[in-house]
Amino acid sequence: MKIGAQPLDKHTENSEQVETQYGETEEPPTEVGAAVEEGDSETTAGPTTTSGHEGVRPGKSSVWDFKARGEPFLWGLGGCLVVGILMIVGFVVLILYNGLLTFFPAPIERVALRSGSVAAGELSRSEQYKPGPEVLAELPAEIRKRISENHDFAHRRLYRIGNYDLYNEDFQWIPDYDITGTTRPKDLFHVERLEWGPFIGTIKSLDLNGRVVSGKTLTLDELHTKHAQAVKRRGRIRSIERNQIAGVNYELERGRLKLRKIMLANGKHSAEYLKAQRDFEPRSATLEARHHELAKEAAALKEKDAKYTIALADVNGKEKLIKLSDVVRLFPANDLTFLQKVEIYFSRWWEFLSQDPREANTEGGVMPAIFGTLCMTMLMALAVAPFGIMAALYLREYAKQGRMVSLVRICVNNLAGVPSIVYGVFGLGFFAYVLGGSIDSIFYPERLPNPTYGTGGLLWASLTLALLTVPVVIVATEEALAAVPTSMREGSLACGASKWQTIKYIVLPRAMPGIMTGLILAMARGAGEVAPLMLVGVVKLAPELPIDHFFPYIHLDRSFMHLGFHIFDVGFQSRNSEAAKPMVYVTTLLLISLVFIMNAVSIVVRNRLKRKFFAGHF
Amino acid sequence: MTNSEPSGPKKTRRWVLIADRIADHTISIGGTLVIAAVLGMMVFLVYEVVPLFRDGKVTSHVEYDLPKKEPAVVALSMDDYKTVSASLSKTGKVTVRHVKTGVTLQSSELDFGGKKLTAFSKAIDGDHVAFGFSDGTVRLGRVTFESEILPSDQLPPDLKKVSDKDRTDGQSVFSVVPGDQIRKITVKVQLADEIQVSEDKSPIVALGYQFSSFGERPRSTLATLDAQGVTTLSLAESKLNLFTRKIKTSVEKTLLPPLPPGVPATYALVNDVADAVFFAERNGKVYRYSLKDPQKPVLAETVELLPKGVELTVFGFLLGDRSLVVGGSDGSLNIYFLLARNDAHSSDGLTFVLARKLEPQGAPITGFSPSQRGKTFATSDSQGRIWIRHGTSQATLIRLNSGTNKPLEAFVMAPRLDGLLAVGSGGRTNYWGLSIPHPETSLRSLFGKVWYEGYPEPSYTWQSTGATDAFEPKLSLTPLIFGTLKATFYSLLFAIPIALLAAIYTSEFLPAKVSGKVKPIMEIMASLPSVVLGFVAALVLAPVVETWIASFILVFVVLPVTLVAAAYLWQLLPPYLALRLQGLPKFLLMFLVVGGGMFVAYRLGPLFERLFFNGNFKVWVSSGTGSSVPFLFLLLLPVSAIVVGFSASRMFGFKFGRYLRELEMPYAAIVDLLRWVGVTMVAVGFSYAAAVVLNLLGVDPRDGLVGTYVQRNTLVVGFAMGFAVIPIIYTLADDALSAVPEHLRSASLGCGATPWQTALWIVIPTALSGVFSAVMIGMGRAVGETMIVVMSAGNTPLLDLNVFNGLRALSANIAVELPEAPKDGTLYRVLFLTGLVLFGMTFVINTVAELVRLRFRKRAMQL
Repeated sequence: MKIGAQPLDKHTENSEQVETQYGETEEPPTEVGAAVEEGDSETTAGPTTTSGHEGVRPGKSSVWDFKARGEPFLWGLGGCLVVGILMIVGFVVLILYNGLLTFFPAPIERVALRSGSVAAGELSRSEQYKPGPEVLAELPAEIRKRISENHDFAHRRLYRIGNYDLYNEDFQWIPDYDITGTTRPKDLFHVERLEWGPFIGTIKSLDLNGRVVSGKTLTLDELHTKHAQAVKRRGRIRSIERNQIAGVNYELERGRLKLRKIMLANGKHSAEYLKAQRDFEPRSATLEARHHELAKEAAALKEKDAKYTIALADVNGKEKLIKLSDVVRLFPANDLTFLQKVEIYFSRWWEFLSQDPREANTEGGVMPAIFGTLCMTMLMALAVAPFGIMAALYLREYAKQGRMVSLVRICVNNLAGVPSIVYGVFGLGFFAYVLGGSIDSIFYPERLPNPTYGTGGLLWASLTLALLTVPVVIVATEEALAAVPTSMREGSLACGASKWQTIKYIVLPRAMPGIMTGLILAMARGAGEVAPLMLVGVVKLAPELPIDHFFPYIHLDRSFMHLGFHIFDVGFQSRNSEAAKPMVYVTTLLLISLVFIMNAVSIVVRNRLKRKFFAGHF
Repeated sequence: MTNSEPSGPKKTRRWVLIADRIADHTISIGGTLVIAAVLGMMVFLVYEVVPLFRDGKVTSHVEYDLPKKEPAVVALSMDDYKTVSASLSKTGKVTVRHVKTGVTLQSSELDFGGKKLTAFSKAIDGDHVAFGFSDGTVRLGRVTFESEILPSDQLPPDLKKVSDKDRTDGQSVFSVVPGDQIRKITVKVQLADEIQVSEDKSPIVALGYQFSSFGERPRSTLATLDAQGVTTLSLAESKLNLFTRKIKTSVEKTLLPPLPPGVPATYALVNDVADAVFFAERNGKVYRYSLKDPQKPVLAETVELLPKGVELTVFGFLLGDRSLVVGGSDGSLNIYFLLARNDAHSSDGLTFVLARKLEPQGAPITGFSPSQRGKTFATSDSQGRIWIRHGTSQATLIRLNSGTNKPLEAFVMAPRLDGLLAVGSGGRTNYWGLSIPHPETSLRSLFGKVWYEGYPEPSYTWQSTGATDAFEPKLSLTPLIFGTLKATFYSLLFAIPIALLAAIYTSEFLPAKVSGKVKPIMEIMASLPSVVLGFVAALVLAPVVETWIASFILVFVVLPVTLVAAAYLWQLLPPYLALRLQGLPKFLLMFLVVGGGMFVAYRLGPLFERLFFNGNFKVWVSSGTGSSVPFLFLLLLPVSAIVVGFSASRMFGFKFGRYLRELEMPYAAIVDLLRWVGVTMVAVGFSYAAAVVLNLLGVDPRDGLVGTYVQRNTLVVGFAMGFAVIPIIYTLADDALSAVPEHLRSASLGCGATPWQTALWIVIPTALSGVFSAVMIGMGRAVGETMIVVMSAGNTPLLDLNVFNGLRALSANIAVELPEAPKDGTLYRVLFLTGLVLFGMTFVINTVAELVRLRFRKRAMQL
């Protein structure tokens, strides 16, 4: 490997003076090498021949050509590497810190202000800032002086005060100079709600179908049991509305569309249409009746549910009455043991991973986005694997190697570098509008003018990403195929195997790890790609999942949610980017983990391939 | 698995052969198809884009004669579906005809009460008309086409067949349309009560009519000139009485200052906001009234828009009432804008500016018909030719010839620009079906400077949507391409040094154990989703940079200085210690130094801001107050450091080296350190002097390079995109450097070169083409990066060099606008063109990179 250097001065050869003085300039390199290996590096910089023998002339003069050593340049190079690594580490730490800590219940501080009013909230973060001149003008002279001493910087804290419905604001910056004191009262509750975000305040009373519990009689245990019952009721109502009523609606709609299709095909007065209409009528009537019945049941349940309420009050005494079932979770934030905190932490994670989003995606979970991302990635892999491998096999094993093939190869390599948004443009124009439009007019005329496949959807998104990643797979597969020694192919062919048999039994198995690596890398790229998806089918909120229990179970035409787009949407399109930030961090953490895991797997596979390849090399 | 045995002539089983054949074909065909499909992408993009650059074409043409005895036609109109036309004659006769056959469906007489028509005007919307009479009255009218869609079973019986698809009951036309439906089109003609405009009942000689429907009530604006030379502006608000079907009109009249006596003005024009009224004479003299203050109208300007001896033949507005089309008897056709100019000889500072000269038609222009959509219009000449033109792109889209060689009586473009009906003298009628899908785009309008209405000068503008119907999309790709290049430039400015230098350090100077750990960290970052980077850049980085901008700038000065200082201090170490700490410890020390440098920059930020930028960088940079010397000094510092360092080493380097060699060890290092300090001082002084000189010369970076601070700016984009690009350049450059054969290094080191010399003179030159290809691939990625620019660039399509301003890149533009662009519309196709431009840019960059890489590979193999 790298050989220990003997960094001679450039001018040494010309300098007789040096030679006469020390007479050691032509020391054999081996000796230096040995000396160098004592240091923990393979390379060495700096010292001349004499430096290896510090014992001979310790501290005595030596030939130092700092220019040849280039120390400042080395530090410049190293500094750049350090900056690069620091950026990356800083980035990962930022995401990990924010992503992992978001769900940990924070204490609620009650802050008394200089103006006499109070506020309560979770401390979100704090920063140095420069107050504007108009703010400074209103401050007392003493505070102004302190700020100007601090280079015009002041310190402020951001509190999540919640109670959006009361104050139209759920975050509040409070400068340090405005705070006269903070406490952490144990009776302050953090109440997560289905609507309006969290409520921070105390619990006044509980109205359980007329029975009012308040004050001392209201224990935490009772609160939790009653809340659990309310959540169950909510689940029941939801199940009726989302599953049963939706199922009936779906059936009805399908029947209507079928009828319309017959009408379009045969005309309004045809026998077929009239017959189908006659057949559909009783079925439609039963479904309508069922719908009515279910709606009634849901209404009854709702009416009962509305009788269980909880009265809340914030630190300023403003009261708020909400249904108990609208509460997602409540806990006394300042009166929790560590274990309880951990329990809340994990329950929040579970909610995040398994629930639908709420409040314009800024709360709740991201289950549909995870599901959409996975579905899309899987479909993409299904599409890209056979085609990419086929193209690579053709290029490597079948096509005549020549100018044409190398040209194609350059093009394919090139396409791997074409911006993803261009693929998105193509996907929208060709897949959705041209292909999808044709499919609609042939197979789904009854739904027109509403597009079925003629707009962005899961299928088109997957195909677009497949097109985007197919060059990656082709390149990786080709490399893997090229790595299989020709001798093995020749051996197989010489034994009388056909070409396809050779490929199937000899070449492909040996190339498989390499192909898998390429495929996983392609999936990782596909999973993290957002720009083309914005054009071909990702939406901020998809009412239905692409896979459900209604026939035909997999709905390739549906638009879907995606983790990457979720980050963009929540971070940039929501009403309050501050409130959305925690959600964005956690989603980011999830997406990055997904991508990193895929990459790590591909690296492991690659390493195993290398081992296998070297072991099997003959 | 092979079934042929070495002994015995056994036959190959048939399925093996069949499978082989099938695989052969499937793979060949499939493989070719996949490759073709991938390459076909470009073809599809081109296919979608090409219609933008096509002129219009004629899809059908019909010619027929109308009955000879008809009176002269003054106005024609046609419905949206080009089914029926209504022609209006001088005597008030309205004739409704079937467009494609000329069959008369219905004809009626408007009741003019026996008065003689002396002036006529048609509003730009095509269906509102105004009649001026010899007794000084004006009547407003309206010709409308009502269309309704009926199911096919509601088709009335006993219809007369007009053509294949069309039938009539004498009143309406019924056309068969797809989807088993019938479209019924009926012509309605309304005539409102008369308005006495001229007090002394003198005939109206010129009449300009404009109809606007914004606001709650539709409003008619009339500019009139009577035979006495009295000019009037009347605003009429009309209301249709639902019971009597009569239009009731309330009129508000304003007398304008009189024209000079004896002016025979024949043209009158008024804009829809009624703040400008023009009267024009036949000789091209135009009188402009300004009604900026509606109570005090003034005659603001009198100009001649045509050369002497040329007769004014066309005088009208394009849609939006800002482009004044002036045609002359010499065949010339010009468009004027009313703009504020310093040298204007008018009372309100505005004047007519010749904005566009259109292709002359060769014969006197006689007729003009503006479109109700966009800036397309048609002009006819005395030879009976009709040219369809576009005002903004200045292109002549279609040239039609009615074949009569005589001036036309009247002609009209279909509301959807897909047909044109022309009535010639003697009743010769032509109908052309047209297809002009994208009249407004040409290479010039997409890439060149275009003078849009309301703009003081030609400019590169991207503004695809506007609030009103008359809004004209401005689709110049230049600011977007500029945005892409700007973002790419700054991100590479940041990424290339860091990535390349880091790669050199990793491959040449870092112990193998450490570099084996460092590399995967950088590699895995390459797969980071860019949406994440965009989010962090926009929501975390941008606010931090905004608060700490001074520290951020300072870091670029402090960090190099600290590193170099650390290097000189490191030289002070005794040799054995330096050797021992060579690898990981030195690397870790670098972390400390970089961290320390950042901390220093953070702490010194406020002080720096006070010393250099008057205490507030954002104010300094946007207001232009305070001296520009400090900033110039900072900008010049790297240049002067390089110049001074280089010339110092050139002049004294050799002698100094000899001198150093004679010194004892620690002293040599100290002297070297002092030398560096000295050189740095000189560089600082030099830079400051240069800054002062430049400042005296009037150079201020705030005019161009820096300017108003926006939170989401190019600096942030450059940083975030640099972050995305660094891992790519780093990995590829590192691969190229590692691919330099080991024996070259060994030879160099064996000859006595230091590792630094080996790296600089042997490794880097050998790997240069590979490194270059790495940079190109990084650039390709930066050009096409979407999410980062969408999220952190502010998306303002500006042509501005300012680092602290936002930008809009090609890719971001697609992501932002394509989801809302209607299919096959102009914007949709222009966005495809954007994609194609992006595709082309990256394709060129990547091909260059690939070719260079192949060359490098070949060379590396030979070594």
